[in-house]
Amino acid sequence: MKNQTLLIRKIVVYTIYILVFTTFQVTFRGLFSLQGLYPDLMFVFVVLTAYMFGFKDGMIVGSLVGVLRDYFAGPSITGIDGTVTATTGIGLLVMILAASYGSSFFTIRIKRNFPMAFSSVVTATLFYKIIGHLVVFTWENAFLHHEYNIGLENALMFSILPQTLLNMIIAIPVYLALRFIGPYHKGVNPALIDEKSREDNLWLTM
Amino acid sequence: MRRLLTNKWFITAISTLIVVAVIILGSFPGSPVNKVLKPVGAIANPVASFVNNVGNSISDFWVAVTDGMAIRKNNEELRAEIASLQYQLNMMEEAAIRYEELQEAFHIRETFSNYDIFGASVLSREADEWFSVIRVGVGNSDNIYLDSGESLAVVDVRMNLIGRVIEINEDDSKILPLLHEGFTVSGKVNEVNGATMIVSGDAMLKLQGLCLVTGIDPEVIPEPGDVIVTSGDGGLFPQGIPIGVIVDVDISDPLNITATLRPYSDIADLSDVFIMVPFNEEPDVVDP
Repeated sequence: MKNQTLLIRKIVVYTIYILVFTTFQVTFRGLFSLQGLYPDLMFVFVVLTAYMFGFKDGMIVGSLVGVLRDYFAGPSITGIDGTVTATTGIGLLVMILAASYGSSFFTIRIKRNFPMAFSSVVTATLFYKIIGHLVVFTWENAFLHHEYNIGLENALMFSILPQTLLNMIIAIPVYLALRFIGPYHKGVNPALIDEKSREDNLWLTM
Repeated sequence: MRRLLTNKWFITAISTLIVVAVIILGSFPGSPVNKVLKPVGAIANPVASFVNNVGNSISDFWVAVTDGMAIRKNNEELRAEIASLQYQLNMMEEAAIRYEELQEAFHIRETFSNYDIFGASVLSREADEWFSVIRVGVGNSDNIYLDSGESLAVVDVRMNLIGRVIEINEDDSKILPLLHEGFTVSGKVNEVNGATMIVSGDAMLKLQGLCLVTGIDPEVIPEPGDVIVTSGDGGLFPQGIPIGVIVDVDISDPLNITATLRPYSDIADLSDVFIMVPFNEEPDVVDP
């Protein structure tokens, strides 16, 4: 009975987080920005969930957030014929990979704690932005034969670093919410404790 | 085998392959993959509206409370009443702004008499610099359709160009914003026989909220401060929609003069947009 209550609580809290974080990001754009960029609440939420509560939680939450990201603001891509089309699935891919990364970020030997959670968000954002620019650069130059005119310095100054800073800032309230409000009591996923005792040798002290 | 199936790297790799396959399938025109997300709207849209309304209410309430605190210092007895009145006043001002916006929307209809104007609320804005589609709440159910090769202009309440419609679903539509690299429109300086040029999104300038202007005639170079409007060339967009103002001109290469343009529209401030749909006038049938 207690397990069932905990499961229901987990589902309800995750559902609220997913819906509120995703809709908040695509609704209130003007509240908090830096050089035209905004905190990527969805991305930070998925990375932190995966880091704090493990691969399974991260993948489920990441998949749902990814679907909503595609639904609300799926990227539009210029095809080889020059036609711009809205795509489906790229948000899902980004969030799955973010969850996978977050769940693997130094979870084997180092305690899951706030500085490391913070670091996971920073490094995940850096990877996301750098890989994103490389993918767009490759697509524009190799397939569209356009010049992708954001140089390394501009990409750093106007995209990668501001986005990382914004995500660092927004990571603080997201971490506190996950840690103290839920979905798990005291911010610890009991399933990970079981995993530790079996094979993964995870350190779980928050 | 079971160990392999529960390995997180194996799951990640398989998930990635499946999603990549979905993305590729979804890129084909008319692919059913793009309709898979339709049921998501049944849950997501009401939540988005709810969050939006709650946010607006909190914002209004917060303004009222902060104003009320200032008043309380001066007159303790009237604090509650003044706060309440202030709150009502804010609501009234909001209503007045909406009224003015609607009035201007009617002005759009008068200016472009050959176009039907469909007003729509912004459901969601871009998520980051790459996830940049805007969704608005008007679709096929409102009798708007997008034929292949067609493009519908989207303007704000002041008639400034915001972008163009790239996809119309049953209840919502997706808009490609003016700043997106894939956006291109023919423009001209807003004067009689003004020089024409091409206004397009640019990866670098997008980060600064600017557009790139190319195709400039070396004999008629625009100057900073010139107002650029749609030229109507190509027949996709009507002529005369304000796009923005020239902020800088680069003449270092006489064979490739470029300029930067600051759009008038600000997506962050948008709450309503207007889609311009040309009339489909049916020819008069003449009996033989």
